Amino acid sequence: MSQKPSHRRRFAAGLVAALVVGVGLSHWTLVRARVQENRARAERVALVSLNALVDIVERAGGVGDSVRRAVAVFARGSSALTTIRVVAFDGLSLEASTASADGGDKAAPRRLAREEKPLYDQGQRLRAAVETNHQEGGARKEEIEIAAMPGGGLALAAPVTKEGAVVGLVAVETTPVPSPPRTSWLAPLAAVLIPALAFLVLAVPIAERRWVLAVVAATLLLGTMVAYGRYAFATMAGDRRITERTVAGEVTAEAARASSVVSELSLGDPRTLHPGSWDADLFRRPLELIAPDGTVHEAKLAESLAGAAGRTRQVFGAFAVLALALLAFVGFGSATRLGATLRKHRQAYTYTFPALFGMLLLVFLPFLYGVVLSFSDMSLYTSQAPMGDLFSKLWVGLKNFTDILGDFHVATSTAGGLVWNYQNIYWTLGITVIWTVANVAYGVGMGLFLALILNTKGLLGRPYYRVLFILPWAMPNYITALIWKGMFHQQFGVFNQIIQMCGGTPVSWFEKTSTSLFACIATNAWLSVPFMMVISLGALQSISADLYEAARVDGATRWQQFRSITLPSLKPALVPAIILSVIWTFNMFNIIYLVSAGEPGHSTEILITQAYKFAFEQYRYGYAAAYSMVIFAILLAYGVWQNKVTKATEGI
Amino acid sequence: MSVGSRTGDFPHLPLHVILLIYVVVTLYPLLWVFTIGFSGQQGLMIVDIPANATFLDRLRAIMPWPAHFSFSNFTSVFTEQPFARWLLNSVIVATATTILGVFLACTAAYAFSRFRFPGRRAGLMSFLVSQMFPGTLMLIPLYIIIVQWLGLGSNFIGLILIYSITGIPFCVWMLKGYFDTIPRELEESALMDGASTATIFYRIVLPLAKPAVAVTALFSFMTAWNEFIQAATFMDKVNMYTAPVGLRFFVGGFSQQWGYFAAGAIVTAIPIVALFLFLQKYLVSGLTAGAVKG
Repeated sequence: MSQKPSHRRRFAAGLVAALVVGVGLSHWTLVRARVQENRARAERVALVSLNALVDIVERAGGVGDSVRRAVAVFARGSSALTTIRVVAFDGLSLEASTASADGGDKAAPRRLAREEKPLYDQGQRLRAAVETNHQEGGARKEEIEIAAMPGGGLALAAPVTKEGAVVGLVAVETTPVPSPPRTSWLAPLAAVLIPALAFLVLAVPIAERRWVLAVVAATLLLGTMVAYGRYAFATMAGDRRITERTVAGEVTAEAARASSVVSELSLGDPRTLHPGSWDADLFRRPLELIAPDGTVHEAKLAESLAGAAGRTRQVFGAFAVLALALLAFVGFGSATRLGATLRKHRQAYTYTFPALFGMLLLVFLPFLYGVVLSFSDMSLYTSQAPMGDLFSKLWVGLKNFTDILGDFHVATSTAGGLVWNYQNIYWTLGITVIWTVANVAYGVGMGLFLALILNTKGLLGRPYYRVLFILPWAMPNYITALIWKGMFHQQFGVFNQIIQMCGGTPVSWFEKTSTSLFACIATNAWLSVPFMMVISLGALQSISADLYEAARVDGATRWQQFRSITLPSLKPALVPAIILSVIWTFNMFNIIYLVSAGEPGHSTEILITQAYKFAFEQYRYGYAAAYSMVIFAILLAYGVWQNKVTKATEGI
Repeated sequence: MSVGSRTGDFPHLPLHVILLIYVVVTLYPLLWVFTIGFSGQQGLMIVDIPANATFLDRLRAIMPWPAHFSFSNFTSVFTEQPFARWLLNSVIVATATTILGVFLACTAAYAFSRFRFPGRRAGLMSFLVSQMFPGTLMLIPLYIIIVQWLGLGSNFIGLILIYSITGIPFCVWMLKGYFDTIPRELEESALMDGASTATIFYRIVLPLAKPAVAVTALFSFMTAWNEFIQAATFMDKVNMYTAPVGLRFFVGGFSQQWGYFAAGAIVTAIPIVALFLFLQKYLVSGLTAGAVKG
C-alpha cells in the first residue's frame, strides 16, 4: 500500500500546471497581439501614403503627362513606397511607373503586357467592389487590396475614380515591414515562479487542510492572472499609442509633401487636401483617429482602447477560467484518478484511441460546430467571419428554431380549396414519415417473404436467385436513382410506354405530389429489399431444424410454427435491422435528391433534402443547421423510444 | 427425418413463378442501363417509336435490347472523356479507405468486445447516436475543418479520412457483435501459453473473425466507391473527381449524355458486383452474427 497522497503536493502541482497554461496562453496572446499591431501599423502608414498618392493622381486626371509628372515628383520624396504604378482601364495602359523594370523601351505610357494581366484583374476586382458597395449603400467588399510580398514588404492597390466611376488603379509596394518588438519572457517566467514559491511557503502552516489549500491556490492563480492581464494590456495599449503617433507623423509628412506637389504642378488649391481622411480602413472610410491638423484624437483613442480592453478582459477571463478548472482538476485528485484509470486500462484505450480520436475530429467536432451554427444566422456572406463572431455579431439565440417549429401555416384555405405550404416543416415531416414507413414496410415485408421462399429446403437454383436479388444492393444507389429517373421520364420513360401499351395516357410523374412521391418510393423500395432479405435469410438459417421437428411432432400447424418459432427467432436480427433501416431511410438523401429533386415545388422533399436546399441553394447556413438539429432531435427521440420498447441494446 | 422440412409440402412450381417475377423486377432496371450503354446513342429511348405506335411497337420499346449493338459509348467514355482518371481516383480512395477503415474498426471493436473499461458504454452509445447526425449538418463544418483548417481540399487524404472515419460506428458495432460470439476460452488458453494481447488479436481473433472483417471491408469499400455528395463538395478540380462525381457530370445540369452515363455506370458497378459475388458467402454470416446478440 502506497502512502496517502498529499493534498499539498497535489495543489502545488495543480497550481504550477494552471499557471503555466494560464500565463502561457495569455503571453502567447500578447505576443500575437503585438505582431498584429505591428503589421496593422505598417498597413496604416502605407495606406496614408497610398491615399495621398491617389488623391494627387485623381487631381491630375488619372491619365496623361500630368499624372506621370505628379508620380515622379511624389516619388522623389517618398521613403516608404518603393514602386508606384498607375494603370488606366481606358486603353489598358500603364500610365506611370517608378519600377526599375519599367525603364527603357518598357517605360510608361504603354499598353499593359500580357504578363501584367493580374494587375488589370486586380483593377477589375476593385471596380466591382466599389460598384457593389455603392449599389448596396454599405461596405461589404474591400475597396483596397493589401497583400504581403515575399520580401516582407506590402503590396497595396487602390482604385482611381473620376466623376464617380472607377477609371484605373494605383498599385504600390512598400519597404519591408519592420520586425515586431520582442516581448520579454522574464515577465511570464516571474508570473509562474513567484506565485508557485509563495504557495510553497504559505502551504507550510496550512499543512493538509484541503479546502484552505484550494482557496489559497485559487487566490494566487486569479491574482496572477489579473496582474498578468493588466501588464499585457498595458503593453498592448503602449503599442497602440506608438501606432497612433507614427500614423499622425505620417499624415503630417504626407500632407506637407502632397501640398508641395499640388502647388508645384498647380493641381488646384493645396488647402482643399484632406490629410485627415487618408487614415482610412479598407473600405476607404476615414478612421477619424487623427485630427486634420495631424495630431492624435485622444478622446477617440481612449474610446477605442476601452473597447479593446473589454475584449481583452473576455479573452483573459476565459483563460483564467480554464486555468482554474485545471487547478481544481489536479488539486482535488481527479487527474490522479484519471491517470490511474488510463494506466489500468492501458490496452483498451490504446486499441480504441485511433478510432475515438478520428471520430472526435471528424464527427463530434463538426457536430458541435453545427450546433453552434444553428444558433447563428450565418449565411454565404458571413461564412468567412471569424469563430468569435458566431457568439457575438451572428448570434440569434433560438430564433431559427422558433421560426422553424413555430410556423404552423401548413396550409391556407382559399376559394379553390386548401393550398399547402410545402416549405413548412410539418408538411415535409409528414412526407418524410410516409416515405420512411412505406419504404421500411415494403423492405421488411418483401425481404422476409423472399427469404422465406428461398429458405425452402431443396428448392432448385437457390444460390442463383439469391445472387440476383442482392444486385440492387450492390448497385451504387445514385446510379439506381438516375436509372429510375430515366425510366419515369414522361416522354421516353419505360413506365409510360407500358401505360400506353395498355391503352392508358402517359403520366407526368413529377408534376403531381402523389405520383412524384410514388416514383421515389418505388425506387427506394426496390433498393431496400435485399438488405432485409439477407438479414432475414441469415436469421432463418440459424434456426435449428429440431425446433420445427418438435413442433410438428406436437401437431402444430404451419401458421403456428411461423408465429411461435420463426417470428420470435427472427426478432433479434430483424429489430436492429429495422431500427437501422428506419434511420437510413429517414436520412436517405440520394434518392429524393436525384429522382424527384423535390418536384413539384419542393412538395416531395424529405427533411434531409430540404435542409440541404436551405444550406446549399439558399445559403442560409445557420437556418439549415437549426433545421438539421430538428431532424437530429426527431431521430434521437425515435432511437430512445425504440430502445425502450425493444431493449435492443440491452447487455452491451 | 432430415429430408422433411416445414415447407416441404409446398409445391415448388408456384414458388419458382413468384421468384421469377421478382427476378424480372430486380433485373429490368439493370438490363435497361445495359441497353442504353450498348446502344451507341446518348438518348433514353431504346428504339424510335412511330407517331401512331401499335401495341407491338411499344412492346419492342420496353424490351431491354438495343436496336443496334455498339461499343462506341464505352470506347469514347475512356478516350474522349477523362473517365479513366476518375475511375483511378475512385480506386485509390476506396482502397485506402478500406485499409484504414478496417484497421480502425477492428482495433476499436476488439477493445469494446473484450475489455471492460470506464467509458466503454458511453463510447458505444455515442457511436450509435452519431449515426443519427444528419449529413447536411455535418457538411458545412466538415468543409471548414477539411479545407480551411487542414488544407485538404481536392486531396485524396481528406476524402479518405472522412470516409473511413464516418464508417467507423457501423463497422465497430458489426465487428463487436461478431467478436462477442468468439469464445473467450480460446484467448484464455493462449494467454496461459504466454501469448501477448497483440498476438492473440492478430493470430487468433482476426483469423476467426474473417467473415465479419470481410463484410466490414466490403462495407468500407462500398461507402467510398458509391459516395458522391461529399466527393462533389471536397473535390472541385475536374481531374480529382471520383467516378460518382464524374457520372453525375454526364447527366447533371444541362448535360444529357445518357449513353456515357450508362457505359460509365456499368464499368463503375462491375467491381462492386464482382466483390459481392466473391464475398457473398460471408455477407449473411457476417451481418447476422453482428446483429444477433441473443
